[in-house]
Amino acid sequence: MKNVIVDSNTHKNTKVLVGHGQDFGENIHFVPVIADELRSLILEYPCCLLKNNQTGQFGLHALLGFESGENLFLADANWRSHYIPLHIRRQPFMVARKDHSSEPMSETNTVLTIDMNNRRVVDGNTSADSQDLFTSDGKPTEYLTSMNRMVFELAQGIVRTESFIQSLVDNELVEAIQLGISMNKRHSADKEQENINFDGLYVINEKALANLSADLLQEYHRKGYLQACHLMMASMGQIQSLIRLRNQSS
Amino acid sequence: MTNKNENHPIGNKVVSQIDSKKLTKNIVIVGGGTAGWITAGTLAAKLTSQHVKNFSVTLVESSNIPPIGVGEGTWPTMRRTLKNMGIKETDFIRECNVSFKQGAKFAKWVTGKHDDYYYHPLMLPEGPIKDNLASHWLSIQFPYNENPKKQYSFSMCLSPQEAICEAGLAPKLITTAEYDAIANYAYHLDAGLFSEFLKQHCIKVLNVKHVVDDVMAVTNNDDGDIACVSTAEHGDLSGDLFIDCSGFKSLLLGEHYQVGFKSCKDVLFVDNAIAVQVPYSDENSPIASHTISTAQTAGWIWDIGLSSRRGVGHVYSSRYISEHAAIEELKQYLSATVNDVEQLTFRKIPINPGYREKFWHRNCVAIGLSAGFLEPLEASALLLVEISANMIAEQLPANRQCMEIVSERFNQTFTYRWERIIDFLKLHYMLSQRQDSDFWCDNRKPESIPSSLKSLLSLWQYQPPSDNDFIHATEVFPAASYQYVLYGMGFKTASSHWGYSTEASEKAYEKFKQVNLQTSQYKANLMSNRDLINSIKQYGLQRV
Repeated sequence: MKNVIVDSNTHKNTKVLVGHGQDFGENIHFVPVIADELRSLILEYPCCLLKNNQTGQFGLHALLGFESGENLFLADANWRSHYIPLHIRRQPFMVARKDHSSEPMSETNTVLTIDMNNRRVVDGNTSADSQDLFTSDGKPTEYLTSMNRMVFELAQGIVRTESFIQSLVDNELVEAIQLGISMNKRHSADKEQENINFDGLYVINEKALANLSADLLQEYHRKGYLQACHLMMASMGQIQSLIRLRNQSS
Repeated sequence: MTNKNENHPIGNKVVSQIDSKKLTKNIVIVGGGTAGWITAGTLAAKLTSQHVKNFSVTLVESSNIPPIGVGEGTWPTMRRTLKNMGIKETDFIRECNVSFKQGAKFAKWVTGKHDDYYYHPLMLPEGPIKDNLASHWLSIQFPYNENPKKQYSFSMCLSPQEAICEAGLAPKLITTAEYDAIANYAYHLDAGLFSEFLKQHCIKVLNVKHVVDDVMAVTNNDDGDIACVSTAEHGDLSGDLFIDCSGFKSLLLGEHYQVGFKSCKDVLFVDNAIAVQVPYSDENSPIASHTISTAQTAGWIWDIGLSSRRGVGHVYSSRYISEHAAIEELKQYLSATVNDVEQLTFRKIPINPGYREKFWHRNCVAIGLSAGFLEPLEASALLLVEISANMIAEQLPANRQCMEIVSERFNQTFTYRWERIIDFLKLHYMLSQRQDSDFWCDNRKPESIPSSLKSLLSLWQYQPPSDNDFIHATEVFPAASYQYVLYGMGFKTASSHWGYSTEASEKAYEKFKQVNLQTSQYKANLMSNRDLINSIKQYGLQRV
């Protein structure tokens, strides 16, 4: 990764390829999401917490497949879902802070960055479907403006989601689940079934949520946490859709 | 002060005098080292989680008596003990300079040669054929290791843990929940910090009353039970059950009640320890994830890696080596890893191996050093504290009449446990083939070996140790521990004259292959002990 600040001079000829698919590293079996997306995500994706392998900390994710490299929502160069998670759509942009203060993010203390090593980034002409960052007179294109807005919202959402998850942990609302799934064996002609156990998935402990104190319940309602919890709980039903997609593809 | 007035109770008379209906309400713990605070925490956690009224736990400790402060190795039971008290593992690891312990490596115990070592890992073989694996290990050879020297080590065949320890790896991942393990583990901890940590938790979370004062007198009721302990500045602390955690002093059980002490120095010879704290060369030096125990001419050296420093010590028998020579052996050992051994501070701790004739007398029970101490080998001291406190918490007698029954049971159980621990420790010494001193030769003399151990050994010549060899439901050491020591030290159990069926041999072979596979998976995925400790300090472990 090589994130640099987006600049009308440096990036006047830079183009971003806007397609989808394995070529852009989208063949991943889970993707980080923010709580603000849950409402859209739950119609298609199972969403739960996964632990970061380096830190052990929880992150909110949408599940896309059952094994490394398997994105069941990806059909060649297209997503077959209506909603595509922000983390996918934001590529290759991100937001960086200008300072190290603990102030909330704002338009003034952040800058838009671009990952120059991302496979979407090309300098000069390309035959592939692409977007310019700047117009010939150095003004941001409509595309760049909309990406800027999206990435800024995402960055703020990440901070809000981290607070939400921290609160879930502090109040012991997270529980580990093990999924035992029966699905078609890969590369098996006669649709042979196999049972696979998945662990490392963490969901809302419904019992603990139901037992929240009145004060906390009110706080959770006010902050939108309660709704987020219910959306997460409801989303896990989409595991069935994921199995269906898997069985269609195998 | 009505001290020592009751050396020889006359059975019936005493029982008729006690108020059998007197309810157990107030528990007073005398002494606040690790024993006192583990006991207080275990009792208070149990009472506050399951009951609502009519109880109190008070701990009185002197500010003038420094704790002994060794006892830095534990057993995996400590995980449950801490969890039951409602302690977060992350807090414990951060505040007590904790690192993980996955077993013990015994170096130079068998022949004393440079490459002589074996492991006693904490992971136990599981499954229906667990006891029989030893027979198969003894009768068949399994060629799957590139190093021919250690090719067939018993612990390598039964558990991945020897390989994990040799590679300096941690027993779990940063993603593993607190108190959960990938490979079974216990802790190495700083006993001084641990005591302070437990104290804060007991006072703030578990409502243990803390009195800092000297106990000046112990006063009996007319019936001979302890009525109260009198303090210098806080008056009398009365109670229904008194727990003596006063250390070697054994203030209540030993001094007040004059309960006899059973020495076992004719079986276990060590009677002194020289302890030293050793800094790491830098803050990211690797931490061994096992206790290293290296035999010497008349004893052995413990080497325990905390996150902040190493704790090292030489335990020896003064009957076979002078203090001066013992210190020299320790310095010699340290010189391999320390530049200037003369800078270190050596502290002598006398050991009088043995235990009380009984542990619970009337309304007084001793836990910790006041009940006895053998030696640091196999870290039995804190283990005994935990299982004693646990038994009292689980069977807390409702009234004085029940106390008679529970105390009888407690005494039987713990006399049995002390005897088994003595047997197990003795096993380490008597199986040695070292010839370099009378210490080792005398350790093999039949008159120094308890008859209980002798009869087990005659059994084990023909069949491997089995959990059936031990009659109690909760044994201190499982049969697997005896197996690790026996076969690690080259003990031979004869092949069964009934032979082994193909099916049984195949099952055993499958198991060994599975352990071998597990070993390579763990070696590929686990991070170093130091890295995990650092990550836990930075991020913490999740509770789920």
